[in-house]
Amino acid sequence: MEEKYSGQALAGGGVLGPVDVPSARLTRYIVLLCFTKFLKAVGLFEAYDLLKAVHLVQFIFIVQLGSAFFMVLFQKPFSSGKAVTKRQWIKIFKHAVVGCIISLLWFFGLTLCGPLRTLLLFEHSDVVVLSLLSVLFTSSGGGPAKTRGAAFFIIAVVCLLLFDNDDLMAKIAEHPEGHHDSALTHVLYTIIAFLGVADHKGGVLLLVLALCCKVGFHMASRKLSVDVGGAKRLQALSHLVSVLLLCPWVIVLSLTTESKVESWSSLIMPFITVIFFVVILDFYVESVCSVKMEASTCARYGSFLIFVSALLFGNFWTHPITDQLRAMNKPPHHESTEHVLSGGVVVSAVFFILSANILSSPSRKGQKGTLIGYSPEGTPLYNFMGDALQQSSQSLPRFIKESLKQILEEYDSRQIFYFLCLNLAFTFVELFYGVWTNSLGLISDGFHMLFDCSALVMGLFAALMTRWKATRIFSYGYGRVEILSGFINGLFLMVIAFFVFMESVARLVDPPDIDTNMLTPVSVGGLIVNLVGICAFSHAHSHGASRGGCHSHDHSHSHHGHSHSHGHGHSHGDHGHSHGHSHGSSGGGMNTNMRDMHAFLIELFNLITHFILFSGVFLHVLADTLGSVGVIVSTIFIQQFGWLIADPLCSLFIATLIFLSVIPLLKDACQVLLLRIPPEQEKDLHAALEKIQKIEGVISYRDPHFWCHSASVVAGTIHVQVVSDVMEQRIVQQVTAILKDAGVNNLTVQVEKEAYFQHMSGLSTGFQDVLAMTQQLESMKYYKDGTYIM
Amino acid sequence: MLPLSIKDDEYKPPKFNLLRKVSGWFRSILADKTSRNLFFFLCLNLSFAFVELLYGIWSNSLGLISDSFHMFFDCTALLAGLAASVISKWRSNDAFSYGYVRAEVLAGFVNGLFLIFTAFFIFSEGVERALEPPDVHHERLLPVSILGFIVNLIGIFVFQHGGHGHSHGSGHEHSHSLFNGGLSHGHSHGGHGHSHEHKHGHGHSHDHGHSHGHSHGQDYCHDDHSLEGMAGSSKQILQGVFLHIVADTLGSIGVIISAILMQNYGLMIADPICSMLIALLIGVSIVPLLKESIGILMQRTPPSLENALPQCYQRVQQLQGVYSLHDPHFWTLCTDVYIGTLKLLVAPDADGRWILSQTHNIFTQAGVRQLYIQIDVAAM
Repeated sequence: MEEKYSGQALAGGGVLGPVDVPSARLTRYIVLLCFTKFLKAVGLFEAYDLLKAVHLVQFIFIVQLGSAFFMVLFQKPFSSGKAVTKRQWIKIFKHAVVGCIISLLWFFGLTLCGPLRTLLLFEHSDVVVLSLLSVLFTSSGGGPAKTRGAAFFIIAVVCLLLFDNDDLMAKIAEHPEGHHDSALTHVLYTIIAFLGVADHKGGVLLLVLALCCKVGFHMASRKLSVDVGGAKRLQALSHLVSVLLLCPWVIVLSLTTESKVESWSSLIMPFITVIFFVVILDFYVESVCSVKMEASTCARYGSFLIFVSALLFGNFWTHPITDQLRAMNKPPHHESTEHVLSGGVVVSAVFFILSANILSSPSRKGQKGTLIGYSPEGTPLYNFMGDALQQSSQSLPRFIKESLKQILEEYDSRQIFYFLCLNLAFTFVELFYGVWTNSLGLISDGFHMLFDCSALVMGLFAALMTRWKATRIFSYGYGRVEILSGFINGLFLMVIAFFVFMESVARLVDPPDIDTNMLTPVSVGGLIVNLVGICAFSHAHSHGASRGGCHSHDHSHSHHGHSHSHGHGHSHGDHGHSHGHSHGSSGGGMNTNMRDMHAFLIELFNLITHFILFSGVFLHVLADTLGSVGVIVSTIFIQQFGWLIADPLCSLFIATLIFLSVIPLLKDACQVLLLRIPPEQEKDLHAALEKIQKIEGVISYRDPHFWCHSASVVAGTIHVQVVSDVMEQRIVQQVTAILKDAGVNNLTVQVEKEAYFQHMSGLSTGFQDVLAMTQQLESMKYYKDGTYIM
Repeated sequence: MLPLSIKDDEYKPPKFNLLRKVSGWFRSILADKTSRNLFFFLCLNLSFAFVELLYGIWSNSLGLISDSFHMFFDCTALLAGLAASVISKWRSNDAFSYGYVRAEVLAGFVNGLFLIFTAFFIFSEGVERALEPPDVHHERLLPVSILGFIVNLIGIFVFQHGGHGHSHGSGHEHSHSLFNGGLSHGHSHGGHGHSHEHKHGHGHSHDHGHSHGHSHGQDYCHDDHSLEGMAGSSKQILQGVFLHIVADTLGSIGVIISAILMQNYGLMIADPICSMLIALLIGVSIVPLLKESIGILMQRTPPSLENALPQCYQRVQQLQGVYSLHDPHFWTLCTDVYIGTLKLLVAPDADGRWILSQTHNIFTQAGVRQLYIQIDVAAM
């Protein structure tokens, strides 16, 4: 509905919103591309199996022969197009030589480090590699996003190099020393050995080198392909030439060395698969897609799918089911050694996908504007307001640095941060110790603590976010984040309590044996950490209250700076004063309360009502503490008296306690989220409304809405009806002053003089209805008078 | 002048009568189609869980019992949805001046959060199992999961037909007709209609006066509210519940597939991979709902207005006598109800009433239901 009317308002002037390229009808090509990439992965895995049996050069020769045959068949480079000159033949010859070398490197890398890693390393499109190189070697890389992408890429390569513990097995199994097939491979081996790395790592380096070469090669051959008459024709001719090039070498090879292959006829199907999937289909589909789509989209989808399918195949290629599926074209002898899927490969695959995604994304300059209308000359006007600019990606290190600085600035968030660090350190020590002593209990407990830390991280993030400036989209600012985070924390605790409850009931019925000797030190350690947390928070709270007062005071200042600019001079001294006063008193009240009670739980509830964010985190810490106390107590009971039932009873008690203590928090957060009038100001507001009623000239008010937006912002709106001969501005000022006294610091007052008309137009009956109604009434009046003459 | 005041102290809540209250809840549940569907589906689910629990206890199989507890946990989502659909119909009172319509957003949010938790747990368990696959007794898995699948399918159909259709039918139609008058003509007249309109309006309101307008306006407003509440309440709750059911269904499909794979091919790794995929799917599908509800709860400018607003600001600023516009706040109360406040700085000699009505018109066209405009007169 919105779209339609805004479109109408623009007088048929197109769609509003971010300017974008229409992406309809591209799905077909994307699906085609994905399918092709999938098949290419299949082809490469097949090629790896083939290369175990067939010599490298022979393999390349056969592939080139087959592809040359099919390409010539499809393209007919000799009968169609203009004739090729001698100079161009020389260039094609060079092209073929370089192409051969690159494919030699490629397939050699394939034999060294397996199809999965080859796919990961070599199947990057030109766009990705070019932007990577431009980031690495030029100063104008294209912003922090690209830098991030490049960093991901490098991390991925390093992961493959260092954290991939596959080389050992592969090396031992596959290349016994002194058995090399040809001079070429021998040379390559010696080079790799000279560099001092293992075979498979050498393969990785080789593939990176080949990738760079490939991109350079593509760039260089672009001009030639235009000269010759299309990339397809060039490809066909180049394949043909390379066949001729490789021919003598293959003949010599096959004469000098005896072949490992028993029957060539069984290899026909695999070769055809490889030729079609890896070379021909991929080439054609990619050329079609790069015409129809942008190169970047093409690159993104293609690389994503090929990596995912590579991972899948890497896991399932040796599985019996795939063996069954490809029984028809399975090479006759199948070695059992495979490059296994290790953790390093998975991590690097994830990083490759990320980096390909980032690097291939187009630079977004000039695309984020919002069409707001048309200038008188008819040119479109765009709006680049605040958040549109903010959305451009930030530099990650700088972001972290700034947020750290912000965290450390404020007392509360600093406390949370330190506590988080302590918690994390404890967790890691626990995990490390658990791994070292190989105790499963410690490890699982460590993970549990890590999970708990997420609540702290969320609280910290919320504390950070609340300080963000209001944007055009979030016009009230981000103050509500703290309430939301309190709410989420509360829910989280509820769920945990529920699960603990369930488990303890299950244990009550059937108490399990617990080995108690390990439990005590760990739970004592946890207790200490949590106690530190409680101390930190209760301190932070007492400071936090006063800080909170200051904070809101700040806010009110900014607010009246604002009203000052409009120049109603009298009221603001008043505002600031009364406001500050009221807040001060409430803060003081809280302090005395605390001093009087000194009881822990009372303070807790104070916290809940006044500082929702904190209480969320605080409750979490408290629950953890209770948990550790319970564990210790129950351990003692079990050890001393052998009461196995103590443990579930303890956890039942704790779960109930958590549950009960969370409920007020949740209720409070719910009330704020449901836009309730803030309970502590309800009385004041009612008094204020009565006062408004008594202002001279005010007839009535309607729709008074007040709600607590965040801890410090109370927003409000009201309609005031006044008699027609009163100064509107005076009313607005008086109403604002009264409500400011009551604690509302973000107020909008609408003054209405003609009640009826305003209502009609305000209540969405619209302009025309009002017009029609007034006309009707008028005509009726005239009609009654009898003086109405058309 | 008689003082008018609202005496809320005199209003005593009626004696707490559990029976009457429960029957009232029932009536309000059964009155609306959405909540009725929810209620019936909840009953179905609960009875299934009970049957499973009883059978589990009878046959002494721990797996069935734990599964039935899982189903009870699932029912909380439905319960939350149901509670929200009842609560969101409560009238607004002094404390909750906007009524309880936001309960629906909150319910959607809670549902989304629960789903995220569930997805996380499933995922972590899947990872654990992928590392060391346990041997699963798949002979009992299949019938239970098929039964669960059927129950969930019923749920999907109920909500597809009943809920969705309903929200489309009544919600859309209603708001459409409300807006139609103002909107379809609004623009064509916008330019020259101003002065005309102004004269009429002026003449009238003086005659007919305030008291009438006032009471009428108030009444109408409330009416409007509750209507919107009814029409819009379906969307967010239903989306949450629907997603929940779809997630469950996907879960049972995954279990069925993996059970078949395990039985026929002995692929033990199928189970964790299936569950991880399901968890990912749930996670991805829940993100839009969470994003939307967080946006609403944080008083975000509604995304559907985001593009129309700058244009509206421009038009307001082009009105005669308006100097500038500041502090615009637009936010969503509940589905399709947008509320806005803004402040205008106008020239001292400008006609406030005319500007007010024009601004109201402009924003009404964009779809803002309630608008509060504070007019500040610039100093000379």
